[in-house]
Amino acid sequence: MPSSLALTPGLGSFLKCLKTNPIDTSIETLISLLKRRQIRHSRSCATATAYLLRSVISACRTTDSAKLIERVQSVGRRLMAAQPREMVVGNIVRRVLGLIRDEAEDDREAEFALSDIGSESQPQTPRAFDDPALPLDRDSLSFRSEDRTTRPPLTSMFSLLSHPEPEHSLPSTPGSSSPSGRLPGHSPSKDVRAEVLEGIGEIIDELGQVDDQIAAYALDHIHSNEIILTHTSSTTVQKFLLKAATKRKFTVIHAESYPNNHEATHATVSGSASDDDNLGLEAFQKPLIEHGITVILIPDSAVFAIMSRVNKVILGTHSVLANGGLVAAAGTRVIARAAKVHQTPVVVVSGVYKLSPVYPFDFDSLIEYGDPSKVLSYEEGDLVDLVDVQNPIYDYVPAELVDLYITNIGGHAPSYLYRIVSDHYRKEDISF
Amino acid sequence: MAPKQKAGQKPKPNAAEEVEETFQAVVLADTFETRFEPFTRDTPRCLLPLANTPLIEYTLEFLANAGVEEVFLYGGAHSDQLEKYINASKWRAPSSPFKQFTFLKSTSASVGDVMRDLDGKHLITGDFIVVSGDVISNLPIEGALAQHRARRALDKNAIMTMVLREAGLQHRTKSTSVSPIFVIDPTKDRCLHYEEIDRHPDGDHLARLNIDAEIILKHPELDIRQDLIDCSIDICTPDVLSLWSDSFDYQSPRKHYLFGVLKDYELNGKTLHTYIIKDHYAARVRNLKAYDAISKDILSRWTYPLCPDTNLLPGHTYTLRKGSMYQETGVTLARSCVIGRRTVIGKGTSIGDRAEVHNSVLGRNCKIGRNVKLDGAYIWDDVVIGDNTDVRGAIIADGVVLGKNCVVAAGALLSYGVKIADNVQVESGKRITKTRNDGGVGKNDPAVVGEGGEGYEFIHGEEDEDDDDDVSVASSGLVYRMPNLSLSSASISTLSSEVSNTSWGARSERSSFSADEDSDNFHHDASVSLFDSLREGVAADVVQLELVTLRMSANASDNQVRRAIVTSFMKHIQQLMEGGKGAGPAVTQVFTAYKEVVERTLFDRSKEQKNDQVDLLLSLQQDLIHRNKGDTVLLFTAKSLYELDLIEEEAYDQWWNDERSSKTEEMRAVRSQTEQFVNWLAEAEEETSEDESEEESEEESDDE
Repeated sequence: MPSSLALTPGLGSFLKCLKTNPIDTSIETLISLLKRRQIRHSRSCATATAYLLRSVISACRTTDSAKLIERVQSVGRRLMAAQPREMVVGNIVRRVLGLIRDEAEDDREAEFALSDIGSESQPQTPRAFDDPALPLDRDSLSFRSEDRTTRPPLTSMFSLLSHPEPEHSLPSTPGSSSPSGRLPGHSPSKDVRAEVLEGIGEIIDELGQVDDQIAAYALDHIHSNEIILTHTSSTTVQKFLLKAATKRKFTVIHAESYPNNHEATHATVSGSASDDDNLGLEAFQKPLIEHGITVILIPDSAVFAIMSRVNKVILGTHSVLANGGLVAAAGTRVIARAAKVHQTPVVVVSGVYKLSPVYPFDFDSLIEYGDPSKVLSYEEGDLVDLVDVQNPIYDYVPAELVDLYITNIGGHAPSYLYRIVSDHYRKEDISF
Repeated sequence: MAPKQKAGQKPKPNAAEEVEETFQAVVLADTFETRFEPFTRDTPRCLLPLANTPLIEYTLEFLANAGVEEVFLYGGAHSDQLEKYINASKWRAPSSPFKQFTFLKSTSASVGDVMRDLDGKHLITGDFIVVSGDVISNLPIEGALAQHRARRALDKNAIMTMVLREAGLQHRTKSTSVSPIFVIDPTKDRCLHYEEIDRHPDGDHLARLNIDAEIILKHPELDIRQDLIDCSIDICTPDVLSLWSDSFDYQSPRKHYLFGVLKDYELNGKTLHTYIIKDHYAARVRNLKAYDAISKDILSRWTYPLCPDTNLLPGHTYTLRKGSMYQETGVTLARSCVIGRRTVIGKGTSIGDRAEVHNSVLGRNCKIGRNVKLDGAYIWDDVVIGDNTDVRGAIIADGVVLGKNCVVAAGALLSYGVKIADNVQVESGKRITKTRNDGGVGKNDPAVVGEGGEGYEFIHGEEDEDDDDDVSVASSGLVYRMPNLSLSSASISTLSSEVSNTSWGARSERSSFSADEDSDNFHHDASVSLFDSLREGVAADVVQLELVTLRMSANASDNQVRRAIVTSFMKHIQQLMEGGKGAGPAVTQVFTAYKEVVERTLFDRSKEQKNDQVDLLLSLQQDLIHRNKGDTVLLFTAKSLYELDLIEEEAYDQWWNDERSSKTEEMRAVRSQTEQFVNWLAEAEEETSEDESEEESEEESDDE
C-alpha cells in the first residue's frame, strides 16, 4: 500500500496499528473507525473484531477464565455500541466468549478428573462439586472444541436437549467456577489463553475461507441453462457464481443496486473492480463474463418485470437474524417480494459469521440510513430545503421470503437457523 | 470505499512521492469574526454546539477521516476554554488518530497574523491542509490531495488547492448576500481571478466583476462560477506561508490573500488551483444562517456519517428513529407530547404534556413545560421552558430560563444564563445576553426580559460596518435571515473590542471614496513598497519618488496616497515598538525622517477648510483602531505631526469635531487619549497669538 499517500484509515491501517500500539489504543481506534464507517461491510468488521480480540486476550495476563470473559465482554460492549448495526461485531465477540467458556469448562473438567484422583488428599476440592454443571458438559464441550464447520449439526441436538439447565447456571457462578480450588502444584497442562487464541485463529481462518467454502456448494444449486438473478457486488455471490461457471453455462441477471452500490456492481460486472475490500482478498478475480457467462445488468426497477423468466434468485446479505430474516442491501426486499409473487426460489448465501443470535424486535433500528445525496443531488438547493430525502442502506427481509440459506456449513431452511445459532453461540452470551 | 481507493492509487509512484512526509493540518479555531455574537462572548466559537456536538469535533473528525497525522490548532478568543476542552477530549488520548496534536495560542487578530506566526515557527514540513474550526465535511481528501501532489510534481509553483463544493444557484447553505466568484481555467483547474460580489446590489450600481482583459485573452476557456460553496479547506505547500509573510497586510484568506496572490501572478508566478467536488458534503458554519442550514443538513443525514447517531463524543447515546428523530437514552416524554420529524433530544431532557416539538434540537437536561410549542428552535443544555411558551426559529443557549406564556419569535437569540420572566414577548431578531463585552455581567433590562428577568439587549457595536450578510436580509423571509442576525463585520475577532477592524474592512466602510479595483491595487502596492522602504531606511526623497511613480501609474487620488502612507507608517511604528522602542520615540523617529513624504500629500495649508489634514488624521485614526496600543500611538502621532508643523491647530479642531471621527465606539476609543492634547491645543490657542507656534512646540517637547 503506498503509504506516502495519506490514505484514509481503514482495516489495513487498523491491523497495522494493532501490532504496534498498546491494546487500549487499538480498542479506541477500532471504535472510532467503526463510528466513522471507515471499517464497514460485514467481513471487514468481523476480521477487525477477531484480530482485536486476539490481541486483547493475548495482552490479558491472566489464566482466569472469568476475568477473560469479563474483559472480552467489556470490550465487546463498547464495540457493539460504536456501530450497533454491524451485527457481525457482536457475533464475533459472542463466539470468542463461547470459546473462553468452552475452554474454561474443559479445563475444569480436566481438573475434576484430577481432583477425583486426589480428592482424599485434597480437602479444598469439594468446592468444585458445588457446581452441578460440570459432569454434564462433556458432550457439548467435545463438540465445540472440534471443528464445528465440518461437523453435521444434527449430532449436537442431543447435547443441547440433554442439558440446557447447567449451561444456564454458569453465568451466575463465575466466581466459584474460577479455578480457586485448584492445586497450586497441579496447574493444568494447557493454558486457557493459548487455547482461546488458537480458537480465535480458527475464526480468522474461517473468515478467510468462508467464501470458498460456500462456493463449494455452488454446483448443487446452479444448473445448466438456468437464469439466475442477483443483486449488489457481494463477493460471496460472485465466488459462488464463478465456481458454478467453471462447469456450467447459465445466464446471470444483475440488478445494479442503485444508489449505494451501483458503482461497485458495475465494476464487478465489467471486471474492472479493483479490490473493494481492504484485504485485497479478491484482487485476482476474473469477472463472470470471462468465463463465457452472459451477464445482463438491469436497473432495480426492472426486477419485477424480469422475474417471470428467472429460475433462481441468489442474494448476498449483510447479516442474518435468528428468526431467519435478514438485513441486506436496500432493494433486496423488493427482489425477494417479486420472487415470492413469481414463486421463484430465493437463495441467500452467507457465512455463518453473519448469523446473529439477536432476535429482531425493532426492524427499524437495524436499518442504517445513509447519505441522501446519492438519491438527490445536494446541488438541488430548492428541493433540499423542502424535501425530506431518505436513503436506507439496508432492507429487512422477513424469513418467509427466503427459501434457502447456504452457509459454509451447508444449506438450511430459514426455520432451521435457530439451530445453527444455538450451535455457535452460548445462550448466556446472547445478550451480555 | 472503492472510489476512494481508486482515487488514491491514480498517481503513479514517482520521485516526488517517495519522500515519506507526515500530513499536517492547521485548524484555525477562531476565524476573527463576530458573527456569533453574543454567544461568543462566553464560549469560543468552535465549541458552540451544532446538533449537540461542538463544532470543532466535526472538523477534527474530518481531519481524522482525511488521514491527517499532525494537527496544529490555533486558539483565538477564549483559548483557555478551548485548550481545556481539547486536553480532555479523545483527540489528546493515546488512541487519537493524530500522532501529534499541538495547541498554539496566539494573540493574532486575523487569519493573516496566524499564518505569519505559523511561518515564523517553522512547524510545517510538507504539504498541509488549512481548515477553519467550523468545517463540516465527510469528504475523503485523497482525491484533492492526489491531484495537488501530481500537479506539484509537475510544477513547483502550484502552491495551493482549494476544495470547493458545487451547489445550485440557490442553496440554504450558501451565503445569501456576498457571493464569492471564482474564475477558473477548467483545463488546468487553475483559479485565475477571485472576487466577492454583493448579490443584492442597490438599484444604482449593479454588482460588477472586474476581470483583467489579459486573463480573457490568454485563456481560451474560462469558467466563471458563482455556484460554489467555499468551505475553506485548502491544501497548501509551505510556499503559501512565505507568501503570507511577504504580504504583511493580508488579513483574510480569500478576500486578501487569494485576491492578492492572483493579482500578483506576474510578480510571484505562483498558481492557485481548485478542486471542485460534486458529491460528499462540505460546508462551513460561517454565520447563524449557515448554522441553521447545516443543522438541518446534519439531521437529514447529508453529512453522513457525521450524524448525531454516530455519537462522536464519548458518552453520547443517540439512536435514530424513523423520521430523522434522534434521541438519547434517558429522555422523558409525556404521553401526550408530540415529537415531530427532524428532532434531536439529549439525555435527561423531559418534555411535558401536549408539548409539540418539530425541527428542533434540544440539548441535555432541558425541562420543557406543558403545551410548549417548539419549531425550528435550537435549544442547548440545561434550559428550562415554562408552560404554554412558544419558541420558533430561535437559538437558546445553556442555562436559559424561559417563563410561562412567553413567545420567542423567529430569529431571537438568548445567550447564556438569560432569564425571561413570565408573559414576555421576545421580538423577532432580539438578542439578549447577560455578559458584557469585557466579560462582566451587564445590567438587567426589565423592558426586555420582564420583571425579575436577567439579561439585557445586545446591540452590535458596528452595525454600520457590516459588509456581509445583512444586506440580504430584506430579500429573504426565512428565519435567521434577519439583518441583525447574520450581522457581521468584516473581520473582527471574537476576542473582544480591543481587537478590531482591519484596514481593509475599514475602507469598505468608507465607500464614499472611489473603492475601485485600481485603488485596491494602488493601496496594496504602495503600502507594501513604502513599508519596505521604511524598514530598510531608504532616504525620504527616494521614497517620495517611488510613491509619486506609483501614484502616477495608478492614477491614485491624494486620499489614497495618504492612506497608503498611514498604513505603512503605522505598520513600521508598530514594528519598532515591538522591537522594544517606546511609542513616542518611534513615532518621532519615523515622522521626522519622512516628514516630506507626508508633507507632499497635504495641499490645504493656505485654505480655511483643512480637508486634507483632517483626512490624514481620520486615516490615522482608522488605521490605529486595530493596532496594539493604537490610542497611545495616535496621541504621539498627533503631537509629532503638530511639532513638525505638518498639521495645524485648526485641522485638529476640525478633525475632532468631524462626525466621522466619532462615529463608532472604536473610533471614539482610539482617540480618547488624544483628547487631552486637543484640549490643550484649544486652550493654548486662546492664550497665545495665532502665529507663535514655535514656543508652544518647545513647551510641548518639554512635556515629553
